[in-house]
Amino acid sequence: MVSAPYCAKLFSDFGADVIKVEPPEGDVSRQWGPFPNDEPHPEKSGLFFFLNTNKRAVTIDVSRTDGREQFGELLRDADLFIENNRPQQMRDWGLDYDSLAEANPNLVMVSITPYGQTGPYSDWVAYDLNAYHLSAAGHRYCGRPGEAPLEHGTFSADFYGANAGAAWGLAAVYGRDIVGGGQHLDVSCAEVIASVFTGCQNIGGFAQDGVYETRTGIGMPLGAPATILPCKDGHVWMLALEPGQWNALAKVMGNPDWMLLEQFQDMFVRAQNADAMYPLIEQWTMEHTKAEIMERCQEAGCPTMAIMTVPEAAEQPHLKERGYVVDIEHPVLGPMRTLGAPFGLPESPGGPTAPAPLLGQHNDELLKRGVAN
Amino acid sequence: MAAPLPLKNIRVANFGWVWAGPVVGQTLGFLGAEVYKIESRARIDINRTLPPFGEGVSGPDRSLQNHAGWAGNGSVSLNLKEPEGVELAKQLVAKSDVVIENFGPGAMEALNLGYDELKQVKPDIVMLSMPSAGLSGPLMNVRAYGMSLTSITGLDSITGYRDGPPIPVENAFSDPYNGIMGAFAVLVALTHRDRTGTGQHIDYSQQESIMQLAGPAFMDYVMNGRTATTMGNRHPTNAGAPHGVFPCQGDDRWISIAVMTGEEWQGLRAAMDDPEWAQSDDYASAAGRVANIDALHEQLAAWVAGFDDRELSELLQQHGVAAAPVLCIGDLLSDPQFKSRGTYVEVTHPLGFKETIYGSYVKSNKFEAAVRPGPMIGQDNDYVFKELLELPEDRYRDLIEREIIY
Repeated sequence: MVSAPYCAKLFSDFGADVIKVEPPEGDVSRQWGPFPNDEPHPEKSGLFFFLNTNKRAVTIDVSRTDGREQFGELLRDADLFIENNRPQQMRDWGLDYDSLAEANPNLVMVSITPYGQTGPYSDWVAYDLNAYHLSAAGHRYCGRPGEAPLEHGTFSADFYGANAGAAWGLAAVYGRDIVGGGQHLDVSCAEVIASVFTGCQNIGGFAQDGVYETRTGIGMPLGAPATILPCKDGHVWMLALEPGQWNALAKVMGNPDWMLLEQFQDMFVRAQNADAMYPLIEQWTMEHTKAEIMERCQEAGCPTMAIMTVPEAAEQPHLKERGYVVDIEHPVLGPMRTLGAPFGLPESPGGPTAPAPLLGQHNDELLKRGVAN
Repeated sequence: MAAPLPLKNIRVANFGWVWAGPVVGQTLGFLGAEVYKIESRARIDINRTLPPFGEGVSGPDRSLQNHAGWAGNGSVSLNLKEPEGVELAKQLVAKSDVVIENFGPGAMEALNLGYDELKQVKPDIVMLSMPSAGLSGPLMNVRAYGMSLTSITGLDSITGYRDGPPIPVENAFSDPYNGIMGAFAVLVALTHRDRTGTGQHIDYSQQESIMQLAGPAFMDYVMNGRTATTMGNRHPTNAGAPHGVFPCQGDDRWISIAVMTGEEWQGLRAAMDDPEWAQSDDYASAAGRVANIDALHEQLAAWVAGFDDRELSELLQQHGVAAAPVLCIGDLLSDPQFKSRGTYVEVTHPLGFKETIYGSYVKSNKFEAAVRPGPMIGQDNDYVFKELLELPEDRYRDLIEREIIY
């Protein structure tokens, strides 16, 4: 799946020796695609490729006693153990933290699950979608009123949980001597978003005043323009809130008379009159391409952006110049391309250099002979 | 007794502002680092001015959302427009391990606080710069808000109702994400520093960090040349169905249901008492359910409609189906899961009012994260200037008088 693999990728892409442990039939994400020509193949999943660069891989059946022994061997000298199974499943396998810490008291175990290790939902069946929507992020911030709350078209909750697991997991390893050994970190993907995103922005006000808001489908309802508008060849994120930005937009649009009207003179009154204003701006955006709009607005000092498709984002000269997209050869897929490191460390550069491993590719070198699957 | 916190020997000078930068400091602070946000009454951070305010009284030390987002940071106040203020900031950096900032490229240099200068006072400093699009390249000076940053990653182009226009996410989803990832970046650089003695200047492009979330769609482009469109709540790689949210009894109440395996599909059928439509061959395989997802969702929605979201979640869970209520903000404080985990905590602000913020958003079985109320401007001035930087009392008073420490 996504959460624990992406968390572990953050370590493997910055130099850690990460061993991916899969059941004999392979990680589920090997079946999830995308696949070349949409033809499923366990070694050709684009998702698996993206999430598992720079790792070695073994297959172990931890539901069997000999499998658990093999796994125990791998964990004996490990700094980190990252996993995203249901807590009850881990207990059933005897792979709960207390059991593992007996063999390796320095082990930092990072469990990343939709709802966490404790609480009434901890053993609920759940995927990314369920965790994301438990955080109220969609209900509050994405979608039109009366229509479904939306996620972002990706594994948002899994990525958030992975990110939190990586930061806290590395801190726990970094400060292990201070803390006095290993520990168990309990990450709930839903809780991370419900804390740092929806909680941050809303919980203080709701707790104090008992009122809360829901999605509007517009963008920023309190100030305007702050919305997505269509243009000649797609869409733009139209933003011109501060006076300088509004004036810059006026200049780019050729100073139309309506922009001088009183009901458009600050971002708050513009928001109240947004229904009248957005069509007027749209008349102009529909005559121009998103690249043109972004370039001219940015140049004038207005933060409007083009909504790039994924290919447009991937091909932008800016990212090419920064070397963000990297080419890697995969033994089955052939020449492949993926995204580089999420941040640049000039003294210790990271990022994918080796492809995702084949199923059980490193069994021989990592598992004792005779017991490997 | 709880163990000491893992970052207790790390000191951080945080020039970060608004949201992403302060969350880097918060994460490091929760984990035990000593973090000082450097700010000034001469230019009050916009996040301090955002309502709602504690007890409804406005003021830069009373913004509730600001306190939640900044909790964990301390605060010292320095007017960086004054050379003496810059000099004092440098003295603090000389005694720090980490510097954080999220201005545009060149802003720190303009203040005489660029990496090259800070390296003079602390050769192994780890400096995290996290502008929108990094420290180099043609877009490096792009003006972006956290809310719209996603537009140059491709992510906005897949957010919206299926095949409809992109729908804006009405807040900066990427800001706190970058805050946490920024803390990870700092920790990677500190690990490198401890091994080699070398600090570095982290070139953290918020665009590149967030674009990873579009990774699945990016791979489809690489492999098939396909341009992803808006996904609704569908599975990001279309590997399973049903996969969506469905309206329940009540106003704006919804349930999320995701079925990925054959076993889960059988569970859903059983929960529904196996209606005839669900027995259709069209739905027998995951591929079939994905191919016929619109009809499937319509039929499922009709069944869901009369149920209470929580009761139905329980029922579906009994059948091994991934279902959960879609919460609204008004549900967060009373939801049994968040309540049980102590997700939100009430604290008393130094000004005396009670406020609710989020607590340790990751739980450790060894330590209690250092969650404190959001900082008041300059709350740590006495300690930092008099004890840490050893300023004599009369000089300290003079600097306050002249609004350098301000």
